[in-house]
Amino acid sequence: MKPALRAVAWLPHVAITVLMLVAMVDMLAGVFLRYVMTWVSATFDLPSIRFFWVEEIGEYSLAWLTFIAAAIGIRRGTHFAVHIVTERLSPRWRRAITAAHSVLLVAFGGLLAIYGWQVSELNSQSYSPALNLNLRWLYLSAVVGGVLMVVYSLAALAETLSADGGRSPGHLA
Amino acid sequence: MLIATVVVTFIVLTVLSLPIVFALGIAGFAGLVVGDFSLQKLPSSLVAGSQSWVLLAIPTFVFAGNLMERCGMSYALVDLARALIGWVRGGLGMSVVLAEYFFSGISGSTIADVSAIGSMLTPPMLRAGYKPEHAVSLVASASAMGILVPPAIFMIVLGQVTDTSVVGIFLGGFLPAAVTALCLMAVVFGVAHRLQWPKDRRPTWASFGAALRGSLVPLVVPIVIVLGFYFGVFTATEAGALVAAYAVAAALLYYRNVSLREMVKLVYESALLTGAVVFLLAVASVYQFLMGMLGVPVLLGAMLRPLESTPWLFLFAVSVIVILFGMVLEGLPAAVVLVPVVFPIAKQIGIHPIHFNIVLTAAVGIGLFLPPIGVGLLMALRFANITAGQHFRAYWPYLLSLVVGLLLLILFPEITLLLPRRAGLVR
Repeated sequence: MKPALRAVAWLPHVAITVLMLVAMVDMLAGVFLRYVMTWVSATFDLPSIRFFWVEEIGEYSLAWLTFIAAAIGIRRGTHFAVHIVTERLSPRWRRAITAAHSVLLVAFGGLLAIYGWQVSELNSQSYSPALNLNLRWLYLSAVVGGVLMVVYSLAALAETLSADGGRSPGHLA
Repeated sequence: MLIATVVVTFIVLTVLSLPIVFALGIAGFAGLVVGDFSLQKLPSSLVAGSQSWVLLAIPTFVFAGNLMERCGMSYALVDLARALIGWVRGGLGMSVVLAEYFFSGISGSTIADVSAIGSMLTPPMLRAGYKPEHAVSLVASASAMGILVPPAIFMIVLGQVTDTSVVGIFLGGFLPAAVTALCLMAVVFGVAHRLQWPKDRRPTWASFGAALRGSLVPLVVPIVIVLGFYFGVFTATEAGALVAAYAVAAALLYYRNVSLREMVKLVYESALLTGAVVFLLAVASVYQFLMGMLGVPVLLGAMLRPLESTPWLFLFAVSVIVILFGMVLEGLPAAVVLVPVVFPIAKQIGIHPIHFNIVLTAAVGIGLFLPPIGVGLLMALRFANITAGQHFRAYWPYLLSLVVGLLLLILFPEITLLLPRRAGLVR
């Protein structure tokens, strides 16, 4: 892979790590503000600190984290599947089914991205209550997730089709 | 027509090994198309379903559990369990149950429990002369019990799906887990005497003290959770953040055996798992919309009306379904598919939401370890390299005692409700 391409391929992985850290630090900050700072401002009669943003940052991070990680999960095999029937089939059949999975996932990701885009356009006039953030940014997580699902599924499809017939394919193994 | 389309699409895709979450998603799209609803409903439900304050407890508990396991806290807990009870006949077997109770108190994932307890305690049991099928039975049945010890991802998910206080469900879990653990220990005691299982040497006060000191750092976690929830100091999501911070502090300052690089890797892996869990829930939220539109809850309510006078029979029937679903589909998918349908009925016939959720959790625990294909059981079998068939003859008494535990929980709601009631969470 070219270096530039490799860097792009790394991006989703870095993104979920960072989002996870953001979510955790944000919640910790929330606990600190709610218990320590509320007490401090009450005791010393200081103006109280607003911390509605804690919930928004946490929830937005979780939404983005979920969509990106769900897409990565296609390649990493983190999604639970039932194998009792397919593991009894011949390798040729299994390969066909794996290819069909990828096609279905491309379609699913595509639909998610297209309709997600429409929804984010619809919401582009609304703003979040605490951070005053355009809600389009929240709904774009579905678009990015959908696009990533298409990309990862196409990669899986290419791998399945190029693999020699005898090898047990991707996530059915 | 709509229901048939959705159900058939889901079953066909699942049988063909498409990951369940995508089988649900594609069947959901099909349902929207057939029902002539806007397809925009899917992405908007997905986003709304993943953007949740309650679910934010999942990443922190997952990460904290992973990190504490990596630090070696599980070893300390196993040592403590063996020092406490290892010297009784069959004590090593009983200490599996006890160690799982402790370990589950710091870990939120049942699958993580099986791999930790299975890898740590299967070899010593085999060395002590336990047959592999008994060793696996102990690990499997203890982990099935352990799902009831909070924190548990499954309970967070149930809290979200049924709109019940996660703190209440967590608090509700401790005693039912203890009751189930006692049922298991009774079986171990009987089997141990019949098969003349060995005893550990009685620990000296010094070695007991050492084991206790070693476990102090991990045991802070369940103790703080219990007290914090009991006195209503923090919410489940906040508890998750605190536990994660505590785990990082313990790893950096006390254990000092996890590099920063490893820690980042744990964050990444926890993010992947979190994404998989939350995405599943998000997809399932589409079904709440579809079923509401179709009036499914009303329909089912009418069907199950005859059971109204016997809530325990209703809970038992639901448990059987959940156990079977849990075996085939794994716990979370089973929960998100079934619970939205069954829960409204339970509420209608007067079952307390916390009681309902705990019974369901216990049932899913059994399902995960039900032969022949429960995911948890398959994992436990790997540690001893035997098949489900070889294992079953030794397993059934343990399985039976899990079912007895479940029946006790169903028949005596107070086992579940006592702690939450004392904490003022149940009127």
